[in-house]
Amino acid sequence: MVAFKRLLLLAAAFASSYAKSSSGDSVLVIVEPKKQADYTLFLDGLREKGYDLTFRSPRADAPLLTQDGVPSFSHVIFFAPDTKSFPSDITPQSLVSLLGSKTNLLITLSTKQTSLTSLAAEFSLAPAPPGTPLISYFPERSEPLNVVPIQPPSTSHILSQNMAPVWFSGTPFALGNNPMLVPILNAPPYAFASEVDGGSADSLVDAAEKGGEGLWAGSRMGVVTGFQTTTGARVVWAGGAELFSDEYAKKQISQGVESGNKQFAQEVASWAFQESLVLRIDHTEHHKFNTTTPSELYTTSDELVYTAQVSRFYPERGVWKPYSDLKDLQLEFTMLDPHIRIALPPVEGKPGTYSVQFRAPDRHGVFKFVINYKRKGFTHLLSSTTVSVVPPRHDEYPRFISAAWPYYMGAISTSVGFFLFSAIWLGGEVKAFDKKGKGRKAE
Amino acid sequence: MPPKSAQEKARSPVESLWKAYNEDTPDRLKFVDSFLLFLMLSGIIQFMYCVLVINYPFNAFLAGFASTVGQFVLTASLRSQVNPVNQGEFKDVSPERAFADFALGSIVLHFFVYNFLG
Amino acid sequence: MHVFVASLLLLVASVHAKILTLQSPRFVVLDSQGQQSRSEPISLTQKSRNPVFLNATDTLKVTFQVVDKESGEGTQPHQTFLRFYDATTDEEGIQPIRVTQGGKAKLELNMARPPLSLPPTGDVPLQVMLYIGQPNFSPIAVELFDLHVPHSQPPPAHPDEASFHLLPEIHHIFRPDQKLPYKLVSAVFSGLVIAPWFLLVGLWSQVSPRLTHLFSPNVLPFILSLGAYEFLVFYYWVDLKLGQVLLCGGVLAIINLFTGKHALSSIAKRRLNKD
Repeated sequence: MVAFKRLLLLAAAFASSYAKSSSGDSVLVIVEPKKQADYTLFLDGLREKGYDLTFRSPRADAPLLTQDGVPSFSHVIFFAPDTKSFPSDITPQSLVSLLGSKTNLLITLSTKQTSLTSLAAEFSLAPAPPGTPLISYFPERSEPLNVVPIQPPSTSHILSQNMAPVWFSGTPFALGNNPMLVPILNAPPYAFASEVDGGSADSLVDAAEKGGEGLWAGSRMGVVTGFQTTTGARVVWAGGAELFSDEYAKKQISQGVESGNKQFAQEVASWAFQESLVLRIDHTEHHKFNTTTPSELYTTSDELVYTAQVSRFYPERGVWKPYSDLKDLQLEFTMLDPHIRIALPPVEGKPGTYSVQFRAPDRHGVFKFVINYKRKGFTHLLSSTTVSVVPPRHDEYPRFISAAWPYYMGAISTSVGFFLFSAIWLGGEVKAFDKKGKGRKAE
Repeated sequence: MPPKSAQEKARSPVESLWKAYNEDTPDRLKFVDSFLLFLMLSGIIQFMYCVLVINYPFNAFLAGFASTVGQFVLTASLRSQVNPVNQGEFKDVSPERAFADFALGSIVLHFFVYNFLG
Repeated sequence: MHVFVASLLLLVASVHAKILTLQSPRFVVLDSQGQQSRSEPISLTQKSRNPVFLNATDTLKVTFQVVDKESGEGTQPHQTFLRFYDATTDEEGIQPIRVTQGGKAKLELNMARPPLSLPPTGDVPLQVMLYIGQPNFSPIAVELFDLHVPHSQPPPAHPDEASFHLLPEIHHIFRPDQKLPYKLVSAVFSGLVIAPWFLLVGLWSQVSPRLTHLFSPNVLPFILSLGAYEFLVFYYWVDLKLGQVLLCGGVLAIINLFTGKHALSSIAKRRLNKD
């Protein structure tokens, strides 16, 4: 009976919408136990997708983020924006090293200054000063000024099209120009950071005149921003945790229009936890033009063929499938500096295969085939294969060149001349050593 | 005597050199000399080609030119060893021994020439 | 964007907010001498049809007074922002306008010393919007005009930025192939190289010794083995490898040794006998 029930549950689980992360299912949620109930919709959504949630209070010491140097969880969510001090294993340095071990993070900030606020600066994000949340007078609404509806962008790889506006409350951050930042949701152009009550107009003008980043205003400010690290881990910084809460998910934008918070939260988590926009290079191979086996050694000016196989992760089924839609993949043939950089186009008829043929430079040395593909939001594709390019061996040079015919004729004619000379010398009369006159006379 | 010397002085030095060579040199040596002349011409023409047209397969030029020059040297040494006039200097070298050296040297030369000819 | 704001403005909540309005809004363009080159009132409902052009020495002055529509009193709103936006590059700049307590607002934009809030500009004009917000009042959003300003420096790019886009292709320039002379020229010179043969044959026909012993069994094997050696060395050039040549050469050397010794000793005997 129990087994049958289990089978039914399993079947139900497979039948429902099932999205799996490509890098693991274990999630640690750091949240005050009292506030845990505020995020049930979001967390249940994660569970439905197949994630394994573990909870930890911000003041508790267990479970640890890393055990014996190995990260214990694949993903970590920080829903503790107001906690001023964390236990000793949660420091900005430890979080950075977690990212180095490919653990993904989803961090929510607030208008209060915490140790995580200083970490945001490492990611080229400058949160607004403490006590100044994002406020907006537009659109006119009954909610307080610091609860702002924001329309998600229409062109985004991470979010679906035509999403309903999202309620947000929290701190905005100024974005640096680091290309590894992936803006997900920016503030509306008419919004700015200020105290909710008693903010003065003069202080805003003075802040702007100070120069630099005195004023937090406009759509260049981020509210939810992602960061793709070079190791492959992803971080999402959100200016407030209410974005993920049940209250905002249920709050209507206008009469009969649901807010997009629930869908937005799931899609942000989906990007953060390596479900969407995840690529990888399955394998690469290289060989000389008319052969199929790779070789360590190529000769200068050889025609080389390089092939790469790229897959993308599809979270609906949790599988990797070949992906041929990368239009701007490039291959570099590098020895200290790229000697050759050419497009690596997809091959018709072979899904996921990209191939190019080119001529090795006529300089010899140790070269590398390098694919270094970085685009906002996508995983970085990095592949490097080392080969040697050597000058031609002594018997690989062209022979019997037309320009050298006179020299060939000269050598052959000397050879033939020597042979005839020897033949006549050996076969001739010895008598002819005498002087001309005498020899004749003797005959 | 005086008429003869007057006759001799009237001819140019080149002509008298040529007459002396023709009369005094045995046929066998003249045979060798024609081979030497042939080798020299062959080398000069190859050199002119290299200078005037192209020296691109330089190794081929070196091989071809060296074959003529080397063969010239070997043949010249054979001539001097076999010349009856030099018998005094080459007492223990019979003409056959000289030819054997010549043949061996030539074979080795040709081996290197064809190796380098490309 | 503007349509969205307008539509949201229509969804007025249950709160009956007071209304603000702008009194005598006006913008003026002054040149470096202070002469007015353009002076226009600002319409609250329609964007100015003609874009504003500013040279590097011009000054743009925007003046208005914010008043409560019902009471006519001037108020200092919390938010009085001018927004410059470049739709093609997505660059934006926000400039707060200083407003007195009585609601009198004045902004001076001197292109000789442009404000930091002005975003980097290119060919496309900046869209200029005015946002006014005050608690308990309905907010105001006014599209002012399109502004053309001189080109500015492009924004400083992060050193890694280029690697996130398509990089320029690099093609290797190969050494040009060796140019060969015409085959005819080479053929002619080959002929010239062979030409001395005629001379040689001619001379030899006159001075060569009579070939009496050419085919004697003493001498012929040696001549033939010399010929074989020459052929081997020639064939090495055509097709053989060194190892094969040395092998055959070793074998031939032994043959040559014997035949040569025999031939030369027979010649020597003949010569000595004669002498």
